[in-house]
Amino acid sequence: MFPQFGATADTLSKASTMVFRIGTDAHLYDDPDDVSIAPLLDSKFDSEKCEALKRLLALIAQGIDVSNYFPQVVKNVASQSLEVKKLVYLYLLHYAEKRPNEALLSINYFQKDLGDPNPLVRAWALRTMAGIRLHVIAPLVLVAVGKCARDPSVYVRKCAANALPKLHDLRQEEHALAIEEIVGKLLNDHSPAVVGAAAAAFASVCPYNLSLIRRNYRKLCEILPDVEEWGQIALIGILLRYVIASHGLVKESIMFSLQCTESSHSVKDGSDADFGQVKESTDMGGTCDYEFVNMVSRCYIEGPDEYLSRSSYANRESFQLTDEQFTSGKSNDDVKILLYSTSPLLWSNNSAVVLAAAGVHWVMAPKEDVKRIIKPLLFLLRSSNASKYVVLCNIQVFAKAMPSLFAPYYEDFFICSSESYQVKALKLEILSSIATDSSISSIFKEFQDYIRDPDRRFAADTIAAIGLCAQRLPKMAHICVDGLLALTREEFVTKDFGFGDQEAGILTHAILSIKSIIKQDPPSHEKVIIQLVRSLDSIKVPAARAMIIWMVGEYSTLGEIIPRMLNTVLKYLAWCFTSEALETKLQILNTVCKVLVGATEDVWTFKKIFSYLVELAECDLNYDVRDRVRFLKKLQSSNLVSIGQEEGTNDLPEKDLLHVVAECILGRQTRKVKAESFSYRFYLPGSLSQIVLHAAPGYEPLPKPCSLLLDDRNVPEGTSEIKKTVADYSGTDDYGTSSEGSDDESASDYDSQHSVAESSGSGRGDDSEFTSEGNDNADPLIQISDFGNASENQNGVSQSGPANLGELMSDRALESWLDEQSGSSNPGISEQSQVRISSARISLGDVGKRVKPKCYSLLDPATSGNGLKVDYSFSSEISSMSHLLVCIEVFFKNCSSETISEITLVDEDSNRALDAADKAADVNQSSLASSDNVPTLVPMESIASLEPDQTARRILHVRFHHHLLPLKLALYCDGKKLPVKLRPDIGYFVKPLPMDVEVFIDRESRLPGMFEYTRSCAFTDHIEELNKENGDSLFVKDKFLAICESLALKILSNANLCLVSIDMPVAANLDDASGLRLRFSSEILSSSIPCLITITVEGKCSDPLNLSIKVNCEETVFGLNLLNRIANFLVEPTLG
Amino acid sequence: MLQCIFLLSDSGEVMLEKQLTGHRVDRSICDWFWDHVISQGDSLKSQPVIASPTHYLFQVVREGITFLACTQVEMPPLMGIEFLCRVSDVLSDYLGGLNEDVIKDNFVIVYELLDEMIDNGFPLTTEPNILREMIAPPNIVSKVLSVVTGNSSNVSDTLPGATGSCIPWRAADPKYANNEVYVDLVEEMDAVINRDGVLVKCEVYGEVRVNSHLSGLPDLTLSFANPSILDDVRFHPCVRFRPWESHQILSFVPPDGEFKLMSYRVKKLKSTPIYVKPQLSSDAGKCRVNVLVGIRNDHGKTIDSITLQFQLPPCILSADLTSNTGTVNILGNKTCSWSIGRIPKDKTPSLSGTLVLESELERLHVFPTFRVGFKIMGVALSGLQIDKLDLKTAPSRLYKGFRALTRAGEFEVRS
Repeated sequence: MFPQFGATADTLSKASTMVFRIGTDAHLYDDPDDVSIAPLLDSKFDSEKCEALKRLLALIAQGIDVSNYFPQVVKNVASQSLEVKKLVYLYLLHYAEKRPNEALLSINYFQKDLGDPNPLVRAWALRTMAGIRLHVIAPLVLVAVGKCARDPSVYVRKCAANALPKLHDLRQEEHALAIEEIVGKLLNDHSPAVVGAAAAAFASVCPYNLSLIRRNYRKLCEILPDVEEWGQIALIGILLRYVIASHGLVKESIMFSLQCTESSHSVKDGSDADFGQVKESTDMGGTCDYEFVNMVSRCYIEGPDEYLSRSSYANRESFQLTDEQFTSGKSNDDVKILLYSTSPLLWSNNSAVVLAAAGVHWVMAPKEDVKRIIKPLLFLLRSSNASKYVVLCNIQVFAKAMPSLFAPYYEDFFICSSESYQVKALKLEILSSIATDSSISSIFKEFQDYIRDPDRRFAADTIAAIGLCAQRLPKMAHICVDGLLALTREEFVTKDFGFGDQEAGILTHAILSIKSIIKQDPPSHEKVIIQLVRSLDSIKVPAARAMIIWMVGEYSTLGEIIPRMLNTVLKYLAWCFTSEALETKLQILNTVCKVLVGATEDVWTFKKIFSYLVELAECDLNYDVRDRVRFLKKLQSSNLVSIGQEEGTNDLPEKDLLHVVAECILGRQTRKVKAESFSYRFYLPGSLSQIVLHAAPGYEPLPKPCSLLLDDRNVPEGTSEIKKTVADYSGTDDYGTSSEGSDDESASDYDSQHSVAESSGSGRGDDSEFTSEGNDNADPLIQISDFGNASENQNGVSQSGPANLGELMSDRALESWLDEQSGSSNPGISEQSQVRISSARISLGDVGKRVKPKCYSLLDPATSGNGLKVDYSFSSEISSMSHLLVCIEVFFKNCSSETISEITLVDEDSNRALDAADKAADVNQSSLASSDNVPTLVPMESIASLEPDQTARRILHVRFHHHLLPLKLALYCDGKKLPVKLRPDIGYFVKPLPMDVEVFIDRESRLPGMFEYTRSCAFTDHIEELNKENGDSLFVKDKFLAICESLALKILSNANLCLVSIDMPVAANLDDASGLRLRFSSEILSSSIPCLITITVEGKCSDPLNLSIKVNCEETVFGLNLLNRIANFLVEPTLG
Repeated sequence: MLQCIFLLSDSGEVMLEKQLTGHRVDRSICDWFWDHVISQGDSLKSQPVIASPTHYLFQVVREGITFLACTQVEMPPLMGIEFLCRVSDVLSDYLGGLNEDVIKDNFVIVYELLDEMIDNGFPLTTEPNILREMIAPPNIVSKVLSVVTGNSSNVSDTLPGATGSCIPWRAADPKYANNEVYVDLVEEMDAVINRDGVLVKCEVYGEVRVNSHLSGLPDLTLSFANPSILDDVRFHPCVRFRPWESHQILSFVPPDGEFKLMSYRVKKLKSTPIYVKPQLSSDAGKCRVNVLVGIRNDHGKTIDSITLQFQLPPCILSADLTSNTGTVNILGNKTCSWSIGRIPKDKTPSLSGTLVLESELERLHVFPTFRVGFKIMGVALSGLQIDKLDLKTAPSRLYKGFRALTRAGEFEVRS
């Protein structure tokens, strides 16, 4: 009847020893391996299997590796008993990744279970299968998830949503789209439970795909209160991000102070007035600290690392929010509905939900409504000790930004003795930042109690807080100082017993607080200083003594009484000098010197005291003291001498100088420093980063306001950014034309470029590919507009919209593209056909020899100082070392009359470039740089010496990191280092790719649409050429030839291309050059992607010609840049 | 998202580990954690969010058990902490308390519970009522049965209906012979009395606990006679927000069994039920202590289990304390606890004695804080009164019961 009775009898005897543990699994945990587990696993009884599995689980719990049982355990997946299943699943999930091959054995059973009528079995099977994390089975899991997402059971659908992040975690690109699709479907589910899980999945799978949210934003808001609590947390965050990305920030919210701080004071005052109603008393300066709020909100949007690093650049203002990026909270329905649906969540039982909802209100709610979050936040303080700390960390930021919000609730921050030290410290800090004139007296009463607390560290913090309060509320300064003075008197009583470090800490803090209060308004605290000085004898703590002595020196000229006391005080200090601690000794020396500098009477006494001290200190055991005294003696010597010479005879300028130095170092009163230096970092409320105060991996600041465009479906990030990038590229054209242009211009280019790269990097997060170029590739808008030009201006090769285009372009873009094409291509084709009939191909034989690469100056002999002239030109050679390197010919010439030796060029930029990359927090770029290990500059063979007028030529292999930015190099000669800039020329980032015209046309036809860019420009070089030879009898044909030659020459001497063919109109009007077409081919050095260039001429031979240049290249950005470069140098007249 | 949960005993032993995602967390993180706890003393022990070199740790300590959760990525820290709190609540509910033994004895249940409560680091089912249906709590009958038959499945083989419904907290369709609802007001009084004997802060934190055994799908409304005194509230998910917003009425479909309907706070109360008057006078290396405890104003209810606890300052060498009622204990960590119980009619309880200070110290300069405990049955000190409880879809008979209880919360008297 009980087949396993033997075993249980054994356990029974064991268990009976511990009556209370009867029937529990205690014995399994205590000695899990006292029975051999393997046979039990193979048993045919479920109960024995259970026991074995429990033993295994106990071993797992204790951290023992039992993965060797894996094959036997996997078999039991087939068991019908749910308990066995559950235990097997627990085991399986723990080890599946370690034993992938065996884990595969279980897949069939999961597949079977997925069809089980019991939803619990289906859900478990799905959860476990997805949790196994094997790349091999990912497609199977995807199918299963897709199926379960349509399951009739809510629970199974919920588990399907939970399985999506597991799949996403495997990082299989090919499934990304399918996963996002399922997320979208589940977000649309009618059951709140599923929506919650789907929101969590969304947050981890595709947080940028905010267009998924757009579809059912309203519905999500309405369903929000019904979603289960954990889902609410995720959903709130998503909705907030969506609203900001699509509508921008709210004008009435605190984030708007971003705008109003610099510009309009009227807005500021207006909001102040609004806010006055909320406050109990508005005696203090502003209701909220605008500078602080400004910084907080900037940090929210940009992330503090970004913000801080950028503020160190000069262009602090590059991040500007325009009015369009704000929306009115009163009129915008989407904002209103979000606030409406999150406000009841402030009553949630789950503290994380409350904080998340409070965060939304903090960022989005109009200022007068923000107060709604206060009570719920304060109530959270009662929930649990652990959450108390986290909530306080967040309140701290809120309270600092808007002290008036929390000022009436100061009692909630009174401290209980049972709280942890961290909580106490936070509460103190909050109290000192929200204290008002009306509440300060009760707060001080509390503080007085805290000072008596047995926790002395806390007591010391309290004293520091008193100092802070007094600095914030100058009216209270006198009371504070009196209290603190009384404290110092009390504490030094205990001090006589040499009692503990902690008491010393309290005294030091007290003096420190007094010191900082006095600093704010020294004249009114004269008596305090006197009292402190009087108590000097009884205060024994070195740090405290040192501070008081410092005050003597600092305020030696203050008021009437202090200067009269100095004599006695200094004598006293000199008398006890030998028995002092190090820091006090140093301070005594400083003070005496300061007094001496500022002294007007009693100078002789002070001088005597000083020389006495000098004698003592020079024999001091500590070298610091000896050094200090030597330094001070030197400084003072002028002073002493001048006094010795009985005034006025200090005609020696050197001594005078010393005197000034002494005055500067010792005499000046220290300048007031702002009490709170803004070195804080702020992260979004409720985030982990805000607690640990660094950006945790995966932390994302708020999206850029209004970055989500209405008809933007593919790219979640705003195209505003991309437009900016394009503007930059065209901006660099200017730089191209003025290649000898000013440094300033290129520098500004550099900056803006940099900031764009940075901002786009920040928006996209760290796992997406970095390059903004890569992003441009995917963006259809630019190419469409370019193509629009293309089909109008250029009689392109016939194109029949290839199928793959449809994937790359959004539907609408594709439609508009098709429309445009059909509209404009017909006349184009007819024109083309007309031209083609009458064209002939010609070749220019000798053009290659006449190519003269353009020479740029690297170092001007005038600026270098020693007459070294360095020029460089881009060479058509291809570097043999790496395809990333570009060859450059560098010519050194010695223009001076002396020999120059040891000339070499090195890459100075390597370190700094890395820094910059770090600053931009761009992991990918640096990893990219390290992955293909190509140096920026292959070390050049250095030139040992260069005689006057001698020239030398070297070939450099350079790697330009960017084809638009100059590369900074350092030129060493004669041991001197000269920084030089090497400007890249995109025309040499390609190498000639010889091909037939047929191949060319074929390739060209394969690069239509997105990969084709056109620009037109004027060309005038040929006119000069024609005029030059005008005297000779010139055939018409030669006119064409001359044009062809000058055009080809111009292009070939500015870019490393291969001339494929020249088509010439034959039957056309003799003076009409229209229809002349040159084709060039090349391939990009770094990627070997072909790049085809076609130039078509229009216009009369003798007039400036109208050229249309067409580039076909897969690499969009490169192609565009090359196109711009070509257009620029064609326009530019040839010199010489 | 959470990557792993560890349960540590109070000696730092890892009792249980549950890996939640594919990114396994080695248990060496616990060694790191414990080393730091030891080296940094209690300051780390009380820090809920810790950035270790490899992971961020969330910790919640309950009854000596440390619940430690690890993550490597950004997530709302309160979510982790709140979840750990829920886990500890559920466990202590299932196991009838929390301690090292009880967790080890029931580790399988703990595993099964954790597995249902969290999936891939995201909370799955945390509603205790549903969990109870999925995994049966251990009880004495099932224990004995399992010993005799060896058959001990506590895993339910059907999915609780509630998981699918739009009210996930309620089991599908319970049937009861007697329909009963019990409503308890459980209040905790927080008070701070400062050195001058002034009541600085006095407020009540209260919970409305409901125990409902109702058939079908009942829709209840609960209203208070004086809702305006409530300073702030938090609700169980079952409470509908809108009726509360407009009329301060609690309208809800209750979960089956016991649950916390709402919690509230009443601030700025004027008096405390008992007074504690400590007097400490120190002189010549000795300190005389005298503490009086008495009832301030009579609520007509007896005050039970009065206790007084305080930490002797570190500068005290020895203490000799006696009392006229109750017992005085001085524990190893210099905690002195005086349990009075009920206050006798004829005399005022007092504690007196002398403390000996450290040799070079003449007077005491730091003073202990007295923590007071008490319990009053039958009274809600906040004054909150339940007006009525209605059942919308009235079954034949409904039995309603109301109770109240006040305990001392953070009740502190400074000396």
